[in-house]
Amino acid sequence: MGPYPCGSAAVGWEGVRSEVQCTAAPDIDGLLAGAGYRVRSSDLCQVAQRLERLESAMVYSSGGGHVDYDHLASDAVHYNPSDLASWVDSMLSELTPADPGPVRQAPAPDGWVDQIYPQPQRAVAARMEEEEDSGIRLVHLLMSSAEAIQRGDAALSGSLIDEMRLLLTRVNTGFGIGKVAGYFVDALTRRLYSVSSPAASGSPAEYEILYHHFYEASPYLKFAHFTANQAILEAFDGHDRVHVIDFSLMHGLQWPALIQALALRPGGPPSLRLTGIGPPSPDGRDSLREIGLRLAELARSVRVRFAFRGVAANRLDDVRPWMLQVAPGEAVAVNSVMQLHRLLTDPDSPGPAPIDSVLSWIHGLRPKIVTVVEQEADHNKPGFLDRFTEALFYYSTMFDSLEAGRANGSAAQQQQATAVAEVYLQREIRDIVCCEGPNRAERHELLVRWRARMGQTGFKPVHLGSNAFKQASMLLTLFSGEGYCVEEVDGCLTLGWHSRPLIAASAWRADDLEDNARPVPDNFIFSSISSTSNTNDSNNNNHNNNDIINSNGSMLRRNSNNNSRSSDSSSQQESIHGM
Amino acid sequence: MAGSNEVNANESKMAVPLNTWVLISNFKLAYNMLRRPDGTFNRHLAEFLDRKVQANATPVNGVLSFDQLIDRSTNLLVRIYRPTPIPDTEDPQTSPSPATSSIFSSLISCPSPDPFPVIIFFHGGSFAHSSANTAIYDSLCRRFVTLCNAVVVSVNYRRSPEYRYPCAYDDGFTALKWACAQPWLHSGKDSKLRVFLSGDSSGGNIAHHVAVQAIESGITISGNILLNPMFGGQARTESEERLDGKYFVTLQDRDWYWKAFLPEGADRDHPASNPFGPNGIDLRGLPYPKSLVVIAGLDLIQDWQLAFVEGLKKADQDVKLVYREQATIGFYLLPNTDHFHEVMEEIKCFVSSNC
Repeated sequence: MGPYPCGSAAVGWEGVRSEVQCTAAPDIDGLLAGAGYRVRSSDLCQVAQRLERLESAMVYSSGGGHVDYDHLASDAVHYNPSDLASWVDSMLSELTPADPGPVRQAPAPDGWVDQIYPQPQRAVAARMEEEEDSGIRLVHLLMSSAEAIQRGDAALSGSLIDEMRLLLTRVNTGFGIGKVAGYFVDALTRRLYSVSSPAASGSPAEYEILYHHFYEASPYLKFAHFTANQAILEAFDGHDRVHVIDFSLMHGLQWPALIQALALRPGGPPSLRLTGIGPPSPDGRDSLREIGLRLAELARSVRVRFAFRGVAANRLDDVRPWMLQVAPGEAVAVNSVMQLHRLLTDPDSPGPAPIDSVLSWIHGLRPKIVTVVEQEADHNKPGFLDRFTEALFYYSTMFDSLEAGRANGSAAQQQQATAVAEVYLQREIRDIVCCEGPNRAERHELLVRWRARMGQTGFKPVHLGSNAFKQASMLLTLFSGEGYCVEEVDGCLTLGWHSRPLIAASAWRADDLEDNARPVPDNFIFSSISSTSNTNDSNNNNHNNNDIINSNGSMLRRNSNNNSRSSDSSSQQESIHGM
Repeated sequence: MAGSNEVNANESKMAVPLNTWVLISNFKLAYNMLRRPDGTFNRHLAEFLDRKVQANATPVNGVLSFDQLIDRSTNLLVRIYRPTPIPDTEDPQTSPSPATSSIFSSLISCPSPDPFPVIIFFHGGSFAHSSANTAIYDSLCRRFVTLCNAVVVSVNYRRSPEYRYPCAYDDGFTALKWACAQPWLHSGKDSKLRVFLSGDSSGGNIAHHVAVQAIESGITISGNILLNPMFGGQARTESEERLDGKYFVTLQDRDWYWKAFLPEGADRDHPASNPFGPNGIDLRGLPYPKSLVVIAGLDLIQDWQLAFVEGLKKADQDVKLVYREQATIGFYLLPNTDHFHEVMEEIKCFVSSNC
């Protein structure tokens, strides 16, 4: 079996980066940082004292006799074990309610800019079966072909593709490197020979089918939903009116679990609003509304007051905050599962990218929680060969994990789901390999970059704790294919296959109302109309906007695309109320 | 009084630097939470709390790492650490541009035309904790690469209580056989695998048992390096009673880990824990590898470790004992004491003279 090398290895040999393994901030104890713990040198003494106290408290709480700390393990939720001071403090407060106060006042460490670990690199999968030589040869040919394309040598690339096609007839393309190589050869062929812009094909409806099968065939989307829901649930604690904004409703698969969890909340459920964003339906159907109706039905059955609004938009940057109708006093959660990367542009292209304005208006909503789940991959590199290499190894690992699921799955349905799930991934591969500039949507970036971006926009991190971790781990035990692993990385969770993380979840907040809160930029359209903060459900009369939103509980007329906004291709849809 | 649960940190605090004390105390308390009295283990929380690092095929300080799945049936992963590869300009498969040279041929290329050691490393954790990608062990393995100009193979063996004896040993032996089958790990004119088995705590125990199995399979091991190896027995020894609870470790936790690892119903005189005890085997006349055994003078199980060294000597085996009187467990995790640096030198000499 073959190694799991890093994509970056392809171009790393010339320069040996001789850097200190941990690039911690000067005040942090460097040796502990190397061990994965972030402690200020100046705090060491206090942390030591607290550790002693914690031990005493643990011994004391066990009441003598045999020692049992299980309640600390099972009942307490642990957050970000790297921040040792906070961890010790939180354990202490579990055991000793009358506690004189934490080591440091600020619960979260300042800034995500401390890079404790080296620039995250990955050990990545490339499947090697008995045909190891053919496999190596295929990879070599793929690289050479990609490099030829990067140099503009179409002829060489074409002939290499021919050679690969020949080789593919001789290897087993049912699994392993043969299968993955097949998809990449297909993508390279399209890039070379397609006359039209090889944009992602297929309708939204087709995409939803693919998505659904990917959801079934692997734990990645389920992990995304579980983890995000857990964070949202915790953030909504103590709030009676909550509003979830889903950046990509799809079939609304994420929400039944949240609705049910809210229904079971001690003290009773809040009233829940869900705003689902999705593409407009071309055929006159209103798919967003249909999903809203289904969710409303479920909410009714578990006695959760529920209201749904659909916002049809082809692109997230067509959405304007006023469409979301965030009401004052409600706790807002923004949920983005694999959507934000579509708003990125080439890293070296000048000017602002759509992501900046979108993150800015999300921040302006003052959300209690923003859940971000993204592919853990560096697929937004400007150089084609770099990108190609990263993608080859990322999707090799992905396909490997799907295969293990298929090999162990018994039902024919599972087999079919896997096959269609591969087509879902193929779309991504084609996009990454074939598309350039504004045509490319799958601009995946690594967690560390998302963290930096969120931090720069002014979001504060919310640590995903051991509850979410445990849920995710237990989810995995339901899946055969024992190579999946969940990892905690400084407050975020990743799900991966055989030590390679493939998907990363993080959570953020922007709900502190400081005086120096970030002002809304002037070039935002919504600032010229009455801001959402002045609306509430009972008097919402924004006639000057041509909005026909009169939410007094009844079904509303659909708003036509109004023309007072120039580049607005989205439309408001009706509110659907449950209960 | 020894054996009590009184917390008296003063002795341990004076024995180690403050950051080491914080590190090991944190492990101790976290581990206390994970062990349940009924013998089960809170694996989810253990994985959550464990600080891990990714493999990194871009060289950092001259060392790169990558993971490899060597046995699909048991999901056995190893993390391989090696010096920066020398670009091979003579390989016909390699095109002039380094960017397109086959990834694998670079990573799995021979580090050097001269003989080099391959160190198979088994991380510690009392058979239940840690992984090959745990940060503290990643650091240690990287250090071994530079120290000994070696390729280090860190084995992510199956842990107890989910997987008891002999799973860890089987995984260790699988890794050894795998190494034997890798052409790029063979070096020198005679194209030999110059393999060392090493480990700390439970890893040291595994190294010993894999070495025994290697003898039975005719595989030659150049040397064993055992750091605070984990051994035990049914009796209570003087060091156990004297040091119980004083330096991060208690007899109670040792008992728990043995119970979790050994077969149900076995006691600590099982040969796994007590290889030279009543159920041990006789190694006399067998080609057991040369051993370097490092024992910390403040480790409560040292009497068992010393008995192990005695056992090897009685069997006429070549063993060098390095006894660090003032060292505690885990002294090799942070490079902030003489113990650390002097033991690293011993390891370096041992490897180079036996390679």
